[in-house]
Amino acid sequence: MLFLRKSLPPDQRWALFRNWVRRMGVYALAILISLWILLPIWLIATMAFSTRSNVRSFPKPFFPDPISTDTMQFFLNAEGILSSTGNSLIVAFATLALSTIIATPAGYAISRFVFRGRDAVRLGILSVRAFPIVILAVPLAVTFINLGIYDSLWSLALLHTALVLPTSVLVIASVFASVPYELEEAAQVFGCTPTMAFFRVVMPLTLPGIAAAGIFAFVTSWNEVFAAVLLTLTNRTLPAQILFSLDKASDPFKFAGGFFMLVPSIIFIFFIRRYLFSMWGQVTK
Amino acid sequence: MLHKKLRLLLVLALMVTGVFAVQAQDDEDDPDAVTFQSTQFNIVEESEIAREILSAFEGAINFVTTEEGPLIDILIAEGQSGSGSTDLVGALHGTFPSLVRNDLLFDLTELTAELDEMYNIADAFIELGLMGTTDYQYYVPWMQATYVMAANVEALEYLPEGADLNALTWDELAEWGVNMAEADGENRLGLPVAGLFNRFMQGYLFPSFTGGMVTEFRSEAAVEMMEFMRDVLWPVVNQESINYAFMNEPLLSGEVWVAFDHVARLGPAFAAMVDGDTDKEFVAFPAPAGPAGRGFMPVVVGLGIPFTAPNPDGAEELLAYMLSPEVQLQVLSELNFFPVVDGVDFDALPENVALIAAAVSAQSAAEDALPALLPVGLGDRGGEINQIFNNVFSRIVQGGEDIQAVLDSEGENLSNLLSETGAACWPPDAPSEGACEVN
Repeated sequence: MLFLRKSLPPDQRWALFRNWVRRMGVYALAILISLWILLPIWLIATMAFSTRSNVRSFPKPFFPDPISTDTMQFFLNAEGILSSTGNSLIVAFATLALSTIIATPAGYAISRFVFRGRDAVRLGILSVRAFPIVILAVPLAVTFINLGIYDSLWSLALLHTALVLPTSVLVIASVFASVPYELEEAAQVFGCTPTMAFFRVVMPLTLPGIAAAGIFAFVTSWNEVFAAVLLTLTNRTLPAQILFSLDKASDPFKFAGGFFMLVPSIIFIFFIRRYLFSMWGQVTK
Repeated sequence: MLHKKLRLLLVLALMVTGVFAVQAQDDEDDPDAVTFQSTQFNIVEESEIAREILSAFEGAINFVTTEEGPLIDILIAEGQSGSGSTDLVGALHGTFPSLVRNDLLFDLTELTAELDEMYNIADAFIELGLMGTTDYQYYVPWMQATYVMAANVEALEYLPEGADLNALTWDELAEWGVNMAEADGENRLGLPVAGLFNRFMQGYLFPSFTGGMVTEFRSEAAVEMMEFMRDVLWPVVNQESINYAFMNEPLLSGEVWVAFDHVARLGPAFAAMVDGDTDKEFVAFPAPAGPAGRGFMPVVVGLGIPFTAPNPDGAEELLAYMLSPEVQLQVLSELNFFPVVDGVDFDALPENVALIAAAVSAQSAAEDALPALLPVGLGDRGGEINQIFNNVFSRIVQGGEDIQAVLDSEGENLSNLLSETGAACWPPDAPSEGACEVN
């Protein structure tokens, strides 16, 4: 705290003090916002590892005391929880891969080429979002049964891909739009083919944005319940397996289930957080 | 550096996915397994117990828990495509009309007759399974449940003088609430307003005061009933009630001493008492009676077999297994659903279940008992009638709107709903020719 130093002239100390207050204000705000996010997560985590009677008691202790893994253990041992977690991962990664493979060229085309009906395509892509999947439920299930791909993880991944594509395409298109075409031209001037220019110049610049669209696909698929319940029977994903059951479960299980749903996404976000920043950085440019 | 991390994540993801994919291939499904879809026991704790009970069946079972909406969608889709994977359907009586309308279920008359001979199924429930026909058994009754009251023994000393716990009236319940509030300073009466509250209105309040569920909806008696609810009962109800969905929780935490809820939702409190997880003691007793009788709502769950079942024989065997008195007893003692067959040995019940079972039979055997069935024949618009009853409560008691005005406007909605669906009156209202009418 420099402003406490008596050797400095008073007006300088005053300026330093004001600076300090401003900085503290920013810190306080940042801490407040972090607490707003972290406290519920902390509450869920501690309650997931508390005894049942502690979960019911009030006020809640800050640290679980005693620590109990009973509810968590019961939850994890419940049939279908672990396998449905695996199913969820498979579907989410398949959705991520499929949607990236399809959305990247589509987004590139929309942002780079002027072709007849380009606006119609854009609008068409968005209008897909206008159909609520609920009214498509029965026809969808009938189609999947008739095609013989009902109750399969890969067909669920197909549907999830269809669900995220509109948004992915538009996000990726705007990411490509933020990279000037002149860069590609310059690369071609130096002897790159258009394909090489794409992979050597554009791709590295847009990778964070594409990854961000991938995260979006992953999270959407991870959280999706309706199609998962409709299209799978014995191969349920985690949300389909526990979501409506959590809604009606007793408090200890709500916390255990909530914690279990949170952990994978926290791990995932931890790895990917830098790309998240670049999603906003690039897309809002 | 950035990309290294991404690569690491990708490798990790592929490994995890690979492991699970290999595992998933390992447990290939048994082709003879019976796939049993049930809207009941879809809570993690309950489905584990149900699986345990089903595991004693000699064949393999895929027990899949679901919700009403997706269940109906999937069965319709299976019906339309002509090939299915569901062998047996377990659902509330109120789910079946949608399946009946789409003509998806086998006639189980012969099987029912066989099982009736072996176990003597309750006739009233067999009749419900006919879904208004005379000779087409759409479902075989599986189990039943209902709603009762529970109280912490601490509350018993405030019971109004001369009141009989097993023959309470609504006025006595309100007086009890006043006594507790005066002695303790807190409102100790609790209602599951965030839970199955519509059943409280449909099956308990309306029938006890008006003698019907829908026909007397906007009558004089209904106005008096809502005056009682707003001015007498609600002021002594714990205001946290608007957040209660499971009354076992406030009972166990001690916030509430006297509560109304579904037996399965009161059950955990009694189980905790018997297991020594709590130092509180509870008693169960029938719902109160009003001027028109002791309205209560039996909930019937049935089992049906869709035309598209790949393994209908296995489904019939599983169905028969679940109706045996031994399994019915197990379901009662562990899952709090009551038998539909004779010959269940009640002496073998654990204490916590016996307490609730006594209240359930006292309620249905009461002299003034007035059973009110779940709404029938509204199909996929069943949710709307629940909304109407919830609206009556929230608009009058919470919103402070005029009682007659609310009953008139919601009565209009109810009347439209009934005439548009053509639903005939169901008990406790007198049977009607054609659509039920709101007087």
